[in-house]
Amino acid sequence: MGKSTATTKDDAQALFRSLHSAYSATPTNLKIIDLYVVFAVFTALIQVGYMAIVGSFPFNSFLSGVLSCVGTAVLAVCLRIQVNKENKEFKDLPPERAFADFVLCNLVLHLVIMNFLG
Amino acid sequence: MANFSIATVFIASISLLLALTHSFSIENPTDRRILVLVDDLALKSSHSIFFSSLQARGFELDFKLSDDPKIALQRYGQHLYDGLILFSPTTERFGGSLDVAAILDFVDSGKDLIVAADANASDLIRNIAAECGIDFDEDQSAVVIDHGSYAVSETEGDHTLIAADDLIQSDVLLGSTKIEAPVLFKGIGHSLNPANSLVVKVLSASPSAYSANPKSKLSTPPSLSGSSISLVSVVQARNNARVVFSGSLDLFSNKFFKSPVQKAGSSNKHAKSGNEQFVTEISKWVFHERGHLKAVNVRHHRVGETEEPTIYRINDDLEYLVEIYEWSGSSWEPYVANDVQIQFYMMSPYVLKTMSTDKKGQYVVSFKVPDVYGVFQFKVEYQRLGYTSLSLAKQIPVRPFRHNEYERFIPTAFPYYGASFSTMAGFLIFSFVYLYSK
Repeated sequence: MGKSTATTKDDAQALFRSLHSAYSATPTNLKIIDLYVVFAVFTALIQVGYMAIVGSFPFNSFLSGVLSCVGTAVLAVCLRIQVNKENKEFKDLPPERAFADFVLCNLVLHLVIMNFLG
Repeated sequence: MANFSIATVFIASISLLLALTHSFSIENPTDRRILVLVDDLALKSSHSIFFSSLQARGFELDFKLSDDPKIALQRYGQHLYDGLILFSPTTERFGGSLDVAAILDFVDSGKDLIVAADANASDLIRNIAAECGIDFDEDQSAVVIDHGSYAVSETEGDHTLIAADDLIQSDVLLGSTKIEAPVLFKGIGHSLNPANSLVVKVLSASPSAYSANPKSKLSTPPSLSGSSISLVSVVQARNNARVVFSGSLDLFSNKFFKSPVQKAGSSNKHAKSGNEQFVTEISKWVFHERGHLKAVNVRHHRVGETEEPTIYRINDDLEYLVEIYEWSGSSWEPYVANDVQIQFYMMSPYVLKTMSTDKKGQYVVSFKVPDVYGVFQFKVEYQRLGYTSLSLAKQIPVRPFRHNEYERFIPTAFPYYGASFSTMAGFLIFSFVYLYSK
């Protein structure tokens, strides 16, 4: 029994270690994008938790707050797919073009959010 | 000759005008001119107490034999009378242009009618009654017999003279003074057509009554029996025309008015029957001396304002006022009741509230407009037994909040605002870091 838990713990450690070493090899620009996505999703989760406590009264504000986070996270994930060198599907798309798309979409998203917020 | 005919037309039109100004109107709803059709002019003296009580109350009675060829209810499209009393139970055909259709047309135009039948009631009278939802016993020889509550007299008789005291409990129909003595009745019974919801039994027979031929042996069960037999019934049509049907013409007679009455099985001997009081009260009702309501001065406004808006906003607080008066025969008196309700209605009532009264005729209610926009109606549908129906409807649109009427910068929403702006700031920082991190 004790032997098997020790084995499971070892397995989990080994798994995390291999994940960590694999992720260390990720290019820096993709890591920045990941950080941004984590930030956006975390903000969205905080708002959902807040809404669960105070109720859904200014529902439009809640929606715009959460959707701005979710929307920008989705756009960032799209950017990550397009600038990833290992992704052969977008090898013809220059990363500058991908970033410009990302910025434009974010501007449109935040324009809508600002109109829906109040 | 031409001059003469112009003069006649002029005089006729003047007299018609005078007659019209003196008649039933919205402001003065009591009837004034009444046509009385009788079989026999002797009825004029045998029923004189009833007729003179009408005349004393200001009615103009026009007596005509029912087969008079000159009978007409209207001329040049104008009704000549406000009420009609048919004391001609045996008439098979009226004279002149009068027939069942003309009488129904008279009622349809809001005029009032009293019909009295008796044991010899003709098919004509039965047809008029049937059109109003009243079915007299089809057996032509049947009269109402009651071995339980007949009126005691010197001779034992066949118990067809009934002392009826099963009256409807309604102050508006029978006045506020209780009718103590039983009402004498001798005639035929009727039943109410269940499909007609407007007809109401005013005087019903006792449970021991039945309708049969008193001279022959009862071989089959009587078609009408017990308290389902109605002796006197009233109808108030949807246009507020009022009709009284009595199965007995003698009910209105001087003889019955003055006769003492003692109900069988009761030691209480009344010096005078209840007929006079009953007939007087019911005739006050039928000729709109009582129970005629009007609603005026309908107003509504937001609470705290006095001006009537053309549109309300959802969740507005509003106040609705209406004045209701009852016609007392000579003046409009405040109508006091605690059951007048208002509906704020859009296909179904969103608000249904009882209005409160200041006892001076004014009814007021305040309520909050529901959180639904659309075209609403203020509706007052007041239908009470014996009273004319009130049906008020006033349309009013309700709009949603305008874009600048919503609350801004709600404290609860500050975290959401913060999240949106922090995401934007995060986006800017991310852009710089991403671009300069090579």
